[in-house]
Amino acid sequence: MKGDTLIKELDCEILYRRKEGGTKDLRSFIASDLMSDVLLVDNEIDILITSLSTAQAIRTADIVSAIGVVIVNGKPVSADMKAAAKEFDITLLRTKLSTFQTCGIIHRLKEHAA
Amino acid sequence: MTIKDLTRCAQLKLVQEDFDDAVITGGYTSDLLSDVMAHAAADNVLITIQAHINTIAVAKLVGIRALIIANDREILEDMAQAAKKERIAIFCSTLNQFDLSVLIGQLLAKDHAR
Amino acid sequence: MIDKNIPIKAEDSASLILDLIYQLKIKDVMSRDLVVACAQDTLHHIKTLMKQRNVTGIPIVKKDRLLGILSIDDIFKALDNGYMDELAEKYMSKKLVILEEDMPLAFAISYFDKFKYGRFPVVDKDNLLVGMITSRDINVGLLMAINKEVSRMEEMLAQNAPVDAKNFRKVFRIRKYDFEHAGIASNRIKKLLTERKHDPRDIRRVAVAMYEMEINITVHSEGGTLTVAIDQDRAEIVAKDAAPGIENPELALQEGYSTANEWIKSLGFGAGMGLANIRRVSDEFEFQSSLGKGTTVRAVIYFKNKKGEEHDH
Repeated sequence: MKGDTLIKELDCEILYRRKEGGTKDLRSFIASDLMSDVLLVDNEIDILITSLSTAQAIRTADIVSAIGVVIVNGKPVSADMKAAAKEFDITLLRTKLSTFQTCGIIHRLKEHAA
Repeated sequence: MTIKDLTRCAQLKLVQEDFDDAVITGGYTSDLLSDVMAHAAADNVLITIQAHINTIAVAKLVGIRALIIANDREILEDMAQAAKKERIAIFCSTLNQFDLSVLIGQLLAKDHAR
Repeated sequence: MIDKNIPIKAEDSASLILDLIYQLKIKDVMSRDLVVACAQDTLHHIKTLMKQRNVTGIPIVKKDRLLGILSIDDIFKALDNGYMDELAEKYMSKKLVILEEDMPLAFAISYFDKFKYGRFPVVDKDNLLVGMITSRDINVGLLMAINKEVSRMEEMLAQNAPVDAKNFRKVFRIRKYDFEHAGIASNRIKKLLTERKHDPRDIRRVAVAMYEMEINITVHSEGGTLTVAIDQDRAEIVAKDAAPGIENPELALQEGYSTANEWIKSLGFGAGMGLANIRRVSDEFEFQSSLGKGTTVRAVIYFKNKKGEEHDH
């Protein structure tokens, strides 16, 4: 699945788009609001789905080499977070959907792609 | 779909079984209890990694009747006791928040199609 | 010796001074060597005292209680008008602006700005005179504090000096509750390892261990340091903080055990996974803590995997 499909299907607002945005095939997703929990994961992560709308979410995404963060529930995003997204060149998206809904849609998109 | 239907799901292990059955119409996935308080609905099953007695307090507040602890987090005795007192079901799963959201979403969709 | 690499940038130095003027108290910089006079002393006596002790203002006291201040301007007036034999109590200024010794230095600075006096008397909490403060005292006090800070930074730089190109050593200073910067040190190390083309799995282990340590210091301590040493074979990270330490280290290692408050949890931390996470990714793990003595965590990660090709992201 490409980033554009994700953006369209989740009706995302693009807060920052990484320089090579849209090129990678997205396969691995994680949904969590606790950053230590994200750090526990051993396999590759492409996209972090979270309601944590602070710069820490971006820094955590960078540590695990994710290329994008999706903020759910239409939560307000701090200027710090946008600045961090730019600094680490990580795509930052925002959807009005909940984590539960977002995961369901992504799963359908993955099945569709496969 | 009711909580009893969830007990038949192989990926979910019922760890607190003294519960009152109730209808489930949706799911809510979050690890931030304040977020659960703000957005979850009473007929949601809560998917979280917060295996903590406070989670029961929040579930009670919102009216949630069942919760699923992701990533196989250990449930401590005080949490189980509190849930028992409130007659709230606790399930445990080795799946993460993303996969549990997908799983519950699929079960709900199947139920709806019937 | 001043090194051109001392990390004081324009914006940092401003914040350093801002920090200092709130950290330092008036009692840290005021002069305690008081030159005082009594209400019954003559202006002539006070003039002599000013000359002898090289001061331009003298508090007039009765048993440490401040009655007024006589300045050199008052003496000039007395000389001009010929009343040098009269008593201090008649000409001292009684409208006093007083500072308290426990106020931050910032208060004194704003007082000098607001009132056009050259000095302010300082009293303790019982309202007794304990010192005087002039703008010179503030300058000297600040310079000494900055000097100390610079030596500390130089010390850190010395520790940071690279042994050779292959070996890397750096000390990061982590502040309490500074979530704005927590994690940045880990992001930098990750970038460095990526540039050196280490295997992504090894990079991730180092970054995860370091990030958790950074967050631990930010959340739980009064501030501390992270020392990172990297050579060809391994990365060693040592987190050290001075206080407050952990009452029950055994419990702290358990997954899910957390003493973090709701505010920290709302930031996505404090799930009680930190130490367990560090241990999980490390090849060597040491953890020492005692209440009042602070905490030290040491993690070593061996670069087990061959250096990877360019990162695929």
